[in-house]
Formats: sequence, structure tokens, C-alpha cells
Amino acid sequence: MNVFNKILLKAVLLPSGVYEKMGVNVRHLRAILMTKLIMDDRRPNSFQQMRRQARKKPISNATLSTMAMSIIAGVLFVFISAFLKNTVTQLTIYFSFYITFLASILIADFTSVLIDVRDTYIILPKPVTDRTVVLSRLLHIFIHICKTALPMCLPGAVYFTYTYNALVLLVFLLMVGMAILFTIFLINACYIFILKITTPQKFQNIISYIQIVFAVFFYACYQIVPRVATRFSGFDITRYKSAPLFPSYWFAAAVSQAWQPVNSLQVWLCVLLSLIAPLLSLWVVIKYFAPSFNQKLALISAGTTEAGGGDSKLVPQAKGISGYSKFMAQLFTKKGAERAAFIFTWQLMIRSRDFKMKVYPAIGYVAVIIVLTMFNIKISVQDITGLTAKGKSAILIIIYFSNLLLVSGLGQLIYYEKYKAAWVFYSAPIEVPGKIVSGAVKACIAQFFFPIALIIFLVLTGLAGVSILPNILLGFSNAFLLGSLAGYFIVNRLPFSCPPNIKASRGTLRIAMVSIFGFVMASIQYSIINITPVVIIFTLLSAGAAWLLLDSIKKLSWQKINANYED
Amino acid sequence: MEPIISIKNLRKSYGNKLVLKGIDLDIYAGQVIGYIGPNGAGKSTTVKILCGLISDYEGGVYVKGLNLKDNATAVKSHIGYIPELAELYDVLTPSEFLSFMADLYSMDYKIAQERMAKMLAAFGLQGNINDRMDTFSKGMKQKVLITSGLLHNPDIIILDEPLSGLDANSVIIVKELISKLAKEGKTIFYCSHMMDVVEKVSDRIVLINEGVVIANGTFEELQQQQGNESLEKIFAHLTAKESLNDAADQLMNAFN
Repeated sequence: MNVFNKILLKAVLLPSGVYEKMGVNVRHLRAILMTKLIMDDRRPNSFQQMRRQARKKPISNATLSTMAMSIIAGVLFVFISAFLKNTVTQLTIYFSFYITFLASILIADFTSVLIDVRDTYIILPKPVTDRTVVLSRLLHIFIHICKTALPMCLPGAVYFTYTYNALVLLVFLLMVGMAILFTIFLINACYIFILKITTPQKFQNIISYIQIVFAVFFYACYQIVPRVATRFSGFDITRYKSAPLFPSYWFAAAVSQAWQPVNSLQVWLCVLLSLIAPLLSLWVVIKYFAPSFNQKLALISAGTTEAGGGDSKLVPQAKGISGYSKFMAQLFTKKGAERAAFIFTWQLMIRSRDFKMKVYPAIGYVAVIIVLTMFNIKISVQDITGLTAKGKSAILIIIYFSNLLLVSGLGQLIYYEKYKAAWVFYSAPIEVPGKIVSGAVKACIAQFFFPIALIIFLVLTGLAGVSILPNILLGFSNAFLLGSLAGYFIVNRLPFSCPPNIKASRGTLRIAMVSIFGFVMASIQYSIINITPVVIIFTLLSAGAAWLLLDSIKKLSWQKINANYED
Repeated sequence: MEPIISIKNLRKSYGNKLVLKGIDLDIYAGQVIGYIGPNGAGKSTTVKILCGLISDYEGGVYVKGLNLKDNATAVKSHIGYIPELAELYDVLTPSEFLSFMADLYSMDYKIAQERMAKMLAAFGLQGNINDRMDTFSKGMKQKVLITSGLLHNPDIIILDEPLSGLDANSVIIVKELISKLAKEGKTIFYCSHMMDVVEKVSDRIVLINEGVVIANGTFEELQQQQGNESLEKIFAHLTAKESLNDAADQLMNAFN
């Protein structure tokens, strides 16, 4: 156990005498907390879950990683808010980021870390009192929040003390505490709301989507805010009448009063709210949310309606593959192994939480990158409709950057937690395994390229007219070529057949090379963008090359595929 | 003689469905009870109630004269539970996991460490005592689980498919262990689908179907009642609604 866990454990066990008086067995409490903290250290944390890079060693210091990442996040919040001149605005932005980020981490951790379904079989049959179990859970949650929330507020505490004074620091720390309570309320409310509208089985998926949205949001902030912050340095939130509606404004107002007190009823009302609202929300959590909360969380963790016991009926989870995927499978694959692999890959890409967690954020990243690049080179919609030089660059940026999603999907296609299930490919009488790889690559192209291509096609032809069509088609056939290249060099193994922790350095290099190739293709198209006959010839050449590459994937032999596993 | 476990008119329902419909059972110290039944018969529910995992049941469950509902913690300290499916915290090492178990049973540290080392060595795991269990095979995890259930030397041992994932040699060890524990006066509540093992290790076999005990006696008594057949046949005869041969025929017909 690392030193921070040891300190936190000692700290929470300080009132042992009180616990004993409450009927808690302190030896049991210490044992449960110690075990949970050791396990927390060895489990990938929220940051590590989203990381694309593969793990080489078993995780052993997740706590330190969480704390380090929280400090970095805290520095980012300070960096973002420090641009603003107005104190209340600065603090409002700081607290908004603080609450959002903390919520984004805790929302996932509440189920994956804090409620472990195995406790039912390991701890509950032991002679441990209910009070000990409940207190151990509460203290575990408290320690977990401390490990994230305290390092995250550290840079802010240093900055605000340096900029203002010690009194501001004291009020700031008090408000951080209130913000934490409020965040816990938000998460509880969010859980209750999601459980109302969905089933426990779907809950984990929704939480994953929320995590993805948060990841994209923070990526966008990281990219955009520093670029625009100087422009908004004079922004003053106090001028807006709706500002007091935001809780982060209340906390900011309270801290600000410690520096430059303002005698206004509205401000004092906000200060009052900053103290009352979190305590009131805590009361709501304890009174209304807590009683059924653990039980519901256990249901979520189990991912089944096990508590329903023998009464549970088998509910069809999926109606098979959709019409679109079936149509695509028939259009692009031949009957047999290739089509089977297409359908299999399609289903797993939709249903594997791990795959979605690693690939779906790319959708947001691509959108952010496109918007940012357009913003940097100052492209307007008029440029696109008028097909100016800038407009044409924008069209190429949109088409080529959207390929990143496809490459990201293909890059993850071979990894799966339950990779051992790939034995089915080996036991089936498949003569040429390339057909499986080809089916998988085509499924990935169909799922991650075609829908986006359709949107791009409609938007761009709508804006720029049919004259841009040859260039769009060249862009698409190049995307096909890029996908086939990625399929040939990155996938080149059976779908979902490798453990996620295998060495990924070569894969990363290959992804980089394919991306460079994409850049080269975009540059070539940019140079010929106005010469339509050449664009058409290039389209035919590129489509032909893509076809040949896909065909050669289909011919991959067992020998070649097995050699790739030994790489 | 007072039964060590006494179950009186035990009823449990999930929603509208009654899973246990009034189980009555007296188990005496030193007995090995083979608790068998088809899937969904109510075996797991009975085990969960006995282990204190389910408390909202009707009827009475008494262990060593203590009412389980009022004295759950005291009852749990007499029981060693070995669940199926290797439910353990596999990011821990056997040493860490078993030390944790010892703490929860309030065992003396030195005794626990000595016992743990000896038991793991007996299972051939002395070299893996400090390895994380996420790298272990199913059988290795099962051995750690068996050790965790026996570490505090309980009077009553509840085994739920304990042989799952074990190799043939380990199966022999566990079977031997069960009979030796029974000779020591321990009570064993053995749940399994492996009829041949149940037939061999049990002093008494309790067959449950649709929440009701439909047979209760020694293997010889069951044979007398049901004809001189194997436990597998007796089980099929008492629990299968349709002929199992018909099911096999239907499967074969699928090829036509």
C-alpha cells in the first residue's frame, strides 16, 4: 500500500474509539479498508480506462496516478481561470471545472470501484456486523473522493493564496468541501435518474457514454480555452442576471466576499446558498437516495437482475443485426467466412464496452480538431459555399480528418478482454483466414466511415453544390484506400483475438505511418483540386488500389497471420 | 441429540415466485449432507440463507441452537463457506487475501499465517503465495477459496460445487479432506451436480426440486425406495419431467 493510502487510512481510523462505541469492529473495519485500498491501487483508474496505450505491466500504482492526474487537472483549471480579470468570474469558472471534472471521475468510480459485487460472497458470509460493512463503505468512498478532490484543489489553493490572502484560502477550502458535497449529490441524482429511465443492464453503457462525453469536453476545453482565453479576459459574469442560478457562482461569490466584500443582497444570498444548498443536498442524499442506493448499485454491478432470483426471465437483449448492417454485409462480403466475420465484428463493435470506450471518444476528438483547424485558419461557411481556396481546404480538412475515426476503430479491432474466445476461428474449418480479417475490416469501414461519409456528402454538396462532387468522391475513395491500408498493416490479425495489454509500440508506429499517408493523399488532392479530369483519374486509381488491397487482405494465409501474432 | 442445523418450514419468494416452499431439515454434527437438485430448484437460495446472505425469508433457521435471524454474526463465525465460480479478489495475492479472511474471522495473526502456509503447501501453491491471483488458473483460485473457507477451522462447512476447475489429483485430495473433516466432527453441507461424488462422500442425500424436499436419506435408503440404481438415475427419475432419452432423441433429430 502506498504512503498516501496509509496516511488516509490512519486518518479515517483516528476516531476508532467512537467507531467501537457505535458497535463497529475496528479490526474488521481496518482489514476491509486496507484490502479495498490495495485493490484500488491495482485496478485501472478512470484515466487509465480511457487510455489507448496498452499496458505492459499489471497496474500497481493507480492511486498515485489518480492523484497526479488530479493535480494536473487542477493546474489546468487554474490556468484557464487565471486569464480572467474579474475575481468572481475567475472563481466561477474554476469551480465549474472542478465540479464537472470531479463528477466525471466519480460517476464511473461509484460502480466500478466502490461497489464490488464480489463483496456479497467474500465479506457478507463472514462474521462482520452490518454496521462495520456500512461504515467501511462510507469511509472507502470518503478516502476515494479525498484522493481525487484534494490533489485537484491543491494548485487552486496555492494560486488563490498567492494572488489573494490566507483568509481567501480558508474560505476557498471551505467552498471546495461544499462543492464536493454538491458533486456527490449530483452523482446520486444522476444515478437515480438514469435508473429511472433505464435498466441496470444498460446502466454501465450509459455511464460509459457519459464518460466519453466528459473526455471529449475536457479535450475540447484543453484545446480551445487557451486559444480563446485572452480574448475573453475582460468577461464579467456578474453582469449576467442568470449567473446566480449556477451553483459554481455561489461558491465563487462566497470566496470573493473574503477578498473584496460587496454589500449586496444578491451576493449575500449566494453566500447563504453556497452553505445551505450542499448541506441540504447531503440531507437529501442521506434521507432519500441512500436507502435504496446500495441495493441498486449492487444490481448494476452484477449487471443482471440476480436479486430477482428464480423469477428472472430471459429477456432478448438484441434483435439480431439491424437492416443496415445486414444490407452492408450482403453488399460488401461474399457468403461464408467473410460475411460471418463482418456480422460478428459489427455486433462486437456495438456491444463491447471496452471497444466503445477506446474508439467513440475519437468522434468527439475529430469534431474538435476539425472545428479548431477551421477556427485557426479562419474559414467561414461562405468560403465553402463560394468554393474559395480556403473553402476547398476546409472540405479536404473535413473529409480527411474524419478518417481518424476509421483508423482509430481499425487500430482497436484486434483487442478484446475476452480474446481467448477467438479459438472459434481456429477450430472452424477455415482455409484462408484472410476472409475473416477482410470481413472485419469491411465491417469497421461500414460502421465508422459510411455514416460519416453520408453526412459529409449531404452537408458539403448542400453547401457547395454538385461541382464539388468529384473531389468528395476522391476524398472518399482515398478514405477507402486508407482503411484498406490500415486493415492490411494494422489489423492483419483475427478480430478481437489479442489481449489489450500486449505491446502496442509497433501498432502505434503503423497507425502514425498510415496517418502520414493520409496527409500525403490530402496534399496531393489539394494540388489537383481544381483539375477535375485529374481528380476523376485519381479517384479511379485510388479506388482500384483500395480494391486490390482489400483483395490481398482476403488472401492472408494462416502462416502470415500466425507470424503477426509472434511480432 | 440436538441437530447442529435445524431448518423449519423455510420459505422464500422472489417477487411473486415462491422458490422455497417450506423446507424442513435437521442436520447433525459430523454428517456430510449431499444437497442436490436440478437448476432453479432452490439449492443456491438455501445456501445463501444459511450463509446469512439472504435475511428476508420465512420460517426458522437455527445453527447450534442460535436463531440465524437474530444472531447472524455469531452463526457466521461457525460457518466456512466455499462458493463456486472462484469468487475472490483476484488482484490480491493468496497471502493478502487469506490474511484478510483471517482478520474478518478475528483469528490470531501467527496461527493464521502458519495455517495458511501449511494449507497452501498441501495444495502445491507454496510457490505462488505472493503472486497476484489474476494470473492463476481456475483450479488454483479454487484451491485458495477452499483454504479461505477452512482457515478458521469452522464447525460447519458449506461447499458449493467445490470441485469445479480442480484437476483429478486435487479432486481426490478434497474428497479425502471431506471425509477426514467429517470424522473430526465437522458438519459438511455439500452442494453439487456431480452425482458420483455426492454418492461417495455423503452420509445423507437431500434432493430438492421446485423448492420442496422430495427425497431425504442415505444413498442406500434412496436405492431401496427408488430401485437399486445409481444416484444419477435416481435423480433423473425423481426430477426430470420428460424422458431424458426423448431430449437426446430430439437433439439427434435436429440433424435430420
